[in-house]
Amino acid sequence: MMKIISGNEAVALAVKLARVGVVGIYPITPQTTIIEELAEMKARGEISTDVVRVESEHSAMGVTLGAAVSGVRAFTATSSQGLLYMHEMVWWAAGSRAPIVMVVATRAVGAPWNIWNENTDFMSERDSGWIMAFASSPQEALDLTLQAFRISEDPRVFVPMMVGMDGFILSHTKTNVYIPSQEDVDAFIPPRRQPYVIDPETQESMGNIFQPVHYMKLRQSINDAIADSKDVIREVGREYEKVNPLADYKTLNVEYKLEDADYAVVTMGAWSLDAMEAVDRLRERGISVGLYRVRYVRPWAEDEILRALGDKKGVIVFDRATSLGRGGPLYLEVKASLNNPVKGVVAGLGGVSMNKKDFMEAISTSIEEMKRGSFREVTWYYPSEVKEVELGTPRSAI
Amino acid sequence: MAMRMVGMALGKNVAMVVVAGCSSVIQGIGPKNAYGYPVLNIAFAAGPAAASGMWRAFKQRNKDVTVVVWAGDGGTADIGFASLSGAAERNEDFIYLCVDNEAYMNSGGQRSGSTPHGAVTTTTPEGKKENKKELLFIMLDHNVPYVATASVGYPHDLMDKLKRAKEVNGFRYIQILTPDPYGWLFDPSKTAEVGKLAVQTCYWPLIEVVNGKVRISNESLHCLKKETRRPLKDFLSVQGRYKKLSERDYLELEKFVDDLWERIISMS
Repeated sequence: MMKIISGNEAVALAVKLARVGVVGIYPITPQTTIIEELAEMKARGEISTDVVRVESEHSAMGVTLGAAVSGVRAFTATSSQGLLYMHEMVWWAAGSRAPIVMVVATRAVGAPWNIWNENTDFMSERDSGWIMAFASSPQEALDLTLQAFRISEDPRVFVPMMVGMDGFILSHTKTNVYIPSQEDVDAFIPPRRQPYVIDPETQESMGNIFQPVHYMKLRQSINDAIADSKDVIREVGREYEKVNPLADYKTLNVEYKLEDADYAVVTMGAWSLDAMEAVDRLRERGISVGLYRVRYVRPWAEDEILRALGDKKGVIVFDRATSLGRGGPLYLEVKASLNNPVKGVVAGLGGVSMNKKDFMEAISTSIEEMKRGSFREVTWYYPSEVKEVELGTPRSAI
Repeated sequence: MAMRMVGMALGKNVAMVVVAGCSSVIQGIGPKNAYGYPVLNIAFAAGPAAASGMWRAFKQRNKDVTVVVWAGDGGTADIGFASLSGAAERNEDFIYLCVDNEAYMNSGGQRSGSTPHGAVTTTTPEGKKENKKELLFIMLDHNVPYVATASVGYPHDLMDKLKRAKEVNGFRYIQILTPDPYGWLFDPSKTAEVGKLAVQTCYWPLIEVVNGKVRISNESLHCLKKETRRPLKDFLSVQGRYKKLSERDYLELEKFVDDLWERIISMS
């Protein structure tokens, strides 16, 4: 069934379709309408999910983890400060090897206060031990959320998984979304599987002190499980076509007009569609460029990336996130995978809007720079409308 | 010792959440533990939240399991307090045990919100300037179905309370005073005795409030009248942590005990 809904509504529907047992919820813009929608569904009697309205994000993950290790499917969602407040428990969930699904509607991190879109919150969790996918449309937010339950509960994986989506741009924008049938989702997601269950019958315990070597072995097991999950993700993606016949998840990441291109643009998330339009226009002007969209940050699909980008004359990576002092995290990841020239562009932070024209300008100047052979490794790009805004340099108050 | 009593009182159908503290260490090296219960070990501030998820998971799976949180006074009064208060306000269905040794003992005896006035700790070498945080009243003000205090000096009283708490539905809070020989500075063989002195001198009340109904244990009935209370110095003088106590500090502690009982009397 097709329906015009927002990204947040799409995620709430995925949680319903996945028959989640317990959700720990705490509001934060722009994720809030996911949990409000779940609370509405519960009030209407549409879901048997236990909706726990906790007092903080730290507790939201606490409840979700407590339920997950005790044998039921569990979900939560957050954004920005909420994700940072929950950070400790995000890591605890990973170390517990507890299959959990979380959606992050991305938002800039303070200070100063800013509720608009940026992906730094999501990207800051890439060392935590979760599988991390990022959507580029409300449809993909629904699809990836459903696949996340299947992937994280696969015995070859048993790692929690988070799905990111751009705050407001996807979370609040309504588009046409294919809603799979309950029957198809039931056939796609088997009953809950997990590595152990805290239960008086099993007497399993979790989290007590480990000897150094056992601790290190456990960390390696998580590392290997994430690295090896690529084949599972592709397999699940192929099978998902039975759930959504319009979907294409055969690969982790997505190529666009790359094959014959000399230069490649790398993006993640919603603005990829603006960048694709920019690529079309630039090609009309005779510039040989294509696009590569990163859908999975963890696992990092180095095999796919090398195949798609390894022979390009230049690769330009757009980051809507920063590792301050070092450019953008996506740039660093791509650069680590390639031997050919890679340039990073940091743009769109804190809700700065990037349209097709801005992408055309940023891409064509970057390609010119790279053709000259000497280019700045990382550029901070400001669209023409905001270039005039001057930012004062902080001075000592004393 | 308190952990053994929990086992005897609550039976086998128990799942535990142990927050960071001494008890994360004494259960031994993973993946097994020495408690004979399934245990979810978890970070300080997450115990009550994890227990909330746990009992709801058991409910979804139609399993009758008593979920118990085991936390120290640091995990309860300070770093874990928001989570505790949230779970109490939601009337989550589990038993919360606060093992109160009145300082951050697992990290070497630093002051906590639950450390009493005048006590020397590694971060209050001149004696704590503030009074002990009154968790008993704070939890009572959450209007939860069951709140009780106990002392390891009176194991039967503690076991009775655990058994009664097991029969109550909703949020249950028991704070157990557990004298710590290394932090309070007394001979380890005197642990039970110090636990008794705390009650006899009325520093520590043994009470139970079930759905608003107050019951004072026999061991504490003499505290209702000021004249029948054993002098507080009998409890303080056996501990090294009060060695720097001034006359003024002593009066402050006495007033603390008087106020405590005045409030209990006004409730009953």
